Parts: sequence; C-alpha cells; structure tokens
Amino acid sequence: MTISSNENSASLRAQIQQCLVESGNYEAISNELTERLLKDGWVDEVKKLAREEISQEDSPNFSKALSQIEPQALDLVQQSTKDAIMRKITAFLEEIVETE
Amino acid sequence: MTEQHETIQSVTDGIYNNLVTSMIHSIVSKETAREKLLRSRYGSYKQYHYDPNSQLDIHGNPKQQDSSQYFYCENCGREVSGNRFAAHLQRCLTRGSRR
Ligand SMILES: [Zn+2]
Repeated sequence: MTISSNENSASLRAQIQQCLVESGNYEAISNELTERLLKDGWVDEVKKLAREEISQEDSPNFSKALSQIEPQALDLVQQSTKDAIMRKITAFLEEIVETE
Repeated sequence: MTEQHETIQSVTDGIYNNLVTSMIHSIVSKETAREKLLRSRYGSYKQYHYDPNSQLDIHGNPKQQDSSQYFYCENCGREVSGNRFAAHLQRCLTRGSRR
C-alpha cells in the first residue's frame, strides 16, 4: 500500500493510522513500547506520580489529575526508549508513504 | 484549517505521542478509579506509616519485645512467653501424651 503525501494532513494521518493497524504494526509497536516502559520503571514512576497527585485531591478527578501528570510523564520516558520506538515508526512510514 | 506540510518526522511524532499519551491515560484512569473505590469503601483511610529510619512498623509502632508477649497454651492452660512458646510445647505436649 502506498500513500501519497500530497493529500490533506488529516486524511493522510487517518490513512496511515489505519494502515498501521491493519498491517499489525500498530499492535507490535505498541507492545514493544509497553514492554520497554515497564522495564525502564516508567510505568511504576507514573503510577506513583498519579497516586501522589490523586491522594492530595479532595475529590479525585481524572481530567484534573491527567493535566498535572501528562507533561511530566511524557518527559520521563527514557531517551533510548523514545528513540527506538520513533525509529520503528519512521521505518514503517518510509515503506508506505511516497515523499516528493 | 491551515494546510501544514506533513513530513515523516511530524507524523512519527504524532503517532508516538498518541501511543504514550494513551498509556498515561490508562494509568491515570486506573489510579483515579482505585482511589475513588478506596475512599467509598473506607472513607478517609490512612496511609501505611513509613519510617525512613526503618524502626517503626506500618502502624507507626516500634517492635514489641517477644518476651513481653504472652500466649495462652491450650494444652495446659498457662500463659507462656512468646519467645519460649515452641520450647514450652515440646515439653508440654510430650507430658500430656505420656499421661
Ligand atoms: Zn502448655
């Protein structure tokens, strides 16, 4: 399957996403990411952050906690893990997208 | 909508972000649900006590001396000191069976 990149960006992204899922690559990449984040201790760190944040609130609220935790959690991903996953995604995209 | 030119890099960034944020969402939503459940079951429950010096237990109490604890022996009906209970049973149970 080839996707030409001169489509509008929303539909381009949607097509790529669909292609990733249908080829089984989305699941594979997602599983690898989960495995790495578990091994790095990231999952436990984020759980701890979430617990600390939520236990301080008078009434636990998902969106409020999320807005506090998300930026920190994104920063906490180990560079090596981020690089490895980005490389996988890029390699897949290079196979299916036509670039000018 | 502004027609931004998508590059492999920008799409990769987008996909990576989707993956990581969806993991963060699932962790935060589990933790929120867990906290709500604990509160609805136990009201304002207390956290386990943590002593950085490793002297106090999860209730914030120091260790009790074994010798200051007494257990009731069902065999002879006496109170026996905790740290001598096994030695007591050895004698107490053989005496009982010989009778
Ligand atoms: Zn006894």
